[in-house]
Amino acid sequence: MEVWLLTLTLLLYLLSTASFIVGLLSARPVVRTIAPSCLLAACLCHAGAIAVRSLTVGYFAVTEVYEALSFFACLTAGIGLLVQWRLPVSILGAIVSPIGFILTLGVYVFYTQARALPPTLQSAWLPIHVTAAFLGYAVFVVACSASLVYLVQEKHLKQKKASSFLRRLPSLETLDHLNYRSLAWGFLLLTLGLLSGAVWAEYAWGHFWIWEPRLILSVVTWILYALLLHYRSAGWRGRRAATLTIVCFAVLVVSFVGVQFFPGRHGGQFG
Amino acid sequence: MASLVQPASSLMVVGLNHHTTPVELREQLAFNDGALDASLPRLVDTETIREGAILSTCNRVEVVAHTPNLDAANEKIRVFLAEEQRVALPRFAPYLYTHVNQEAVSHLFRVASSLDSLVVGEPQILGQVKDAYNASSALGTLGTVLHRCFHKSFSVAKRVRTETSIAAKAVSVSSAAVDLACTIFDHLEDKTAMVIGVGEMGEQAVRHLRGRGVGTIMVTNRTFRRAVELARTCNGTVVPFDQLDKHLHLTDVVIGSAGSPHYVLHSGMVEEALEERKRSPMFLIDLGVPRNFDPRLNNLDNVFLYDIDDLEQVVEDHKGERQVEAVKAEAIVAEEVNKFWRWFVNQEVTPTIVALREQAELIRSREVEKTLAGLAELSPQAKEAVEALTRSLTNKLLHPPLAYLKQRHHNGVKREAEYAQETASPHVIRQIFGLDTHEE
Repeated sequence: MEVWLLTLTLLLYLLSTASFIVGLLSARPVVRTIAPSCLLAACLCHAGAIAVRSLTVGYFAVTEVYEALSFFACLTAGIGLLVQWRLPVSILGAIVSPIGFILTLGVYVFYTQARALPPTLQSAWLPIHVTAAFLGYAVFVVACSASLVYLVQEKHLKQKKASSFLRRLPSLETLDHLNYRSLAWGFLLLTLGLLSGAVWAEYAWGHFWIWEPRLILSVVTWILYALLLHYRSAGWRGRRAATLTIVCFAVLVVSFVGVQFFPGRHGGQFG
Repeated sequence: MASLVQPASSLMVVGLNHHTTPVELREQLAFNDGALDASLPRLVDTETIREGAILSTCNRVEVVAHTPNLDAANEKIRVFLAEEQRVALPRFAPYLYTHVNQEAVSHLFRVASSLDSLVVGEPQILGQVKDAYNASSALGTLGTVLHRCFHKSFSVAKRVRTETSIAAKAVSVSSAAVDLACTIFDHLEDKTAMVIGVGEMGEQAVRHLRGRGVGTIMVTNRTFRRAVELARTCNGTVVPFDQLDKHLHLTDVVIGSAGSPHYVLHSGMVEEALEERKRSPMFLIDLGVPRNFDPRLNNLDNVFLYDIDDLEQVVEDHKGERQVEAVKAEAIVAEEVNKFWRWFVNQEVTPTIVALREQAELIRSREVEKTLAGLAELSPQAKEAVEALTRSLTNKLLHPPLAYLKQRHHNGVKREAEYAQETASPHVIRQIFGLDTHEE
C-alpha cells in the first residue's frame, strides 16, 4: 500500500513538473490551471503514503533516512503549492515539483523495513521538533528558489534582454517580497525547531546542549539566517539579499546532509 | 470562372483597407452609425444577397455577404458602395479586394483576431467587429450563415488572444517602457513616477503609465510654466526643478525627456536617494537625446536604466517574437476556417440528402399504391415482395448521388477545388433530380 502510494506520488510529481514547465513555456491558460491540481494531488498522495507508514509502525514515521526524506519532500511541495496559490509565482511550482520528484526517487533508494523505535526517540517531542525544523527547511527552499529566479530576472533586466518568457516570471518586487516573507517564516520555524530540540534534549539526555558537529552547525546556520534577516530589515534588498539567501541555504544543506557522516548522538540516523 | 467555383451559395467579402487604400478615400467610403442603419437594408434582398453585414472602421470598409450568385453579388456591392457613399466607382474600384468562400471566412477571422490590423494585436478591432455584427443583427440582415460566421470570428479572436501572446507585445517605445516597469514592480498603483522635462516622448510614457494605473505622477521642468501644463494634462503634481534631488527618493520610476546637454541624474544623487528609500528598486527611463541620465547608473544595485536605444531594441525583439506568434495565430485561424467550412457545406448538403430521400420515397409509395390497386388478388407475401423490390430499387438508384453528396461533405474543405472542376454541387443535384420544382 505504502509503496504503491509512493509510486503514484512519484508519477504525479513528474506530471506536475511537466505541466508547470509547459505552463511556463506556452501561453495556454489551461495548462496553468492543471499544474497546481497535479501538485496538490501529488502532495495529498504523498501525505497518504506517510500516514500509512506511520500507522503501520505505530509512531510518527520520520526517523529513518527515507522517512525523513519523504516527509521533507512532502512539506516542500506543500509549502510551494501554498505559496504559488497565494502569490502569482507559478515558477515556484516548476521548482518544487522536480524537487519533490527527485527526493521521492531518493526515498526508493533508501527504503527500509520498519523496525522498533529507539527509546530516546519515543517522545511527544519527536513530531514537534522534526515538523518545526523541516517546515523551516521547506520554507528556506522557497526563499532560495525565489532568490534564484530573482537573480535570473535581474540579470536579464540589467543586460536589457527582455523576452516574453521573462515577462511570465514574477516581477522583481514580488520575488523580493517572497524572499523576505519566507526568510522571516523560515527563521521562526527554525528557531522553534532548535528550542524544541533543546527542551527535548533536556528531557532525554539530561542537558539541553551537547557539543557535536550536527548541533553546532545547526546553530551556525541559525546565526547566519538571523544576520541575513537583520540586514534585510535594515534595507538590504534585491541582488545582495538574493545572493546571501542562496549562500545561507547552501550552508543549511551542508549542515543537514554533510553532518550525517559524523558520528553523534543526535537523531537515529537522519533528521 | 468564379461562377463555377461556387457551391449552392457562397460567402464573400468585398472591401478595402489601410494596406492599400489612402486615408482620404477610406474616409469617404466609411459609414458612420446613422448612415449604416439607413444603407444596410438596401444591400440585402432575397435574390443576390441573402445576408449581409458592413464593417466600417477608420482602417477598413468591408461588406460581408452570403449569396447564391457571386458575380451578381460582387457587382451589386460595388454599385451599392458607390451609390450610398456618392463616390464614383472607378475612383475606388482599383483598391477593392474580393475574397470568396474559405478565403472570405479566413479574412473575417483574421480581421477579428487583429491579424490584419495596422498594429497587429491591437484590441479595438474585435469590439468594432462586434459592433458591426450587432448593428446588422438589429437590422435583420443576418441569417443562419452569417450569424454563425461572426460568432465564430469572436471565438477565434478569443483563442488567438489566449493561446498566443500576439496581443501582449509592446509595440511602441513608451509601452515597452511600461511593460518593463511591470517586470520590476508588482503593481503600479502604489508607485510614484516622475517626469523630468516636457518632451513629447516623456509625455507619451506618462500617459501610458497613467493608463496602467500608476499612483502618483510628479512633473519637473526647467521652465516651471510648461511643467504646470503637462502636470495638468496627466493629473500630476509639479516639483520645482531645483528641488528634483529632494524628491528623487520618493519616486520608483523616473522618466527623462529633457532637452539638456548635460546629465540631469548622476550616480551621487541616485545613491543618496537609494539610501533614503532603503534600496527599493528604481526604474530609470531615459528618453532624451542626448541622454539625460548617466549610463553608469545601470551599474548601481537595484537601479534599472533603459535609454531610448535599449527600448527600441526591446520593441525590435518584440517584433521578432510577434512574427513567431503570428504563425501560431494563422494556424488557429486556418483550423477554425476548416471547421466552419465543414459546417457550411454540411448545412447545404443535409437538406439535399433529406429532400432526395423524401422525394424517392414519395414516388415509390405512390407508384406501389397505384400498381397494387390493380392487383387485388395478390397474397400478402407477394405484396410484401413488391414493397421490398421497389424499396431496393430506389435505394440502389439513390446510392450513387447520396454517396457523392456525403463524400463531398466529408472531404468538403480539402477537396473543394477538385469538386469545383466537376461543377457538381448540391445545387446541381437538386436540379438534376428536380428537387426544387413542385411536381404536378
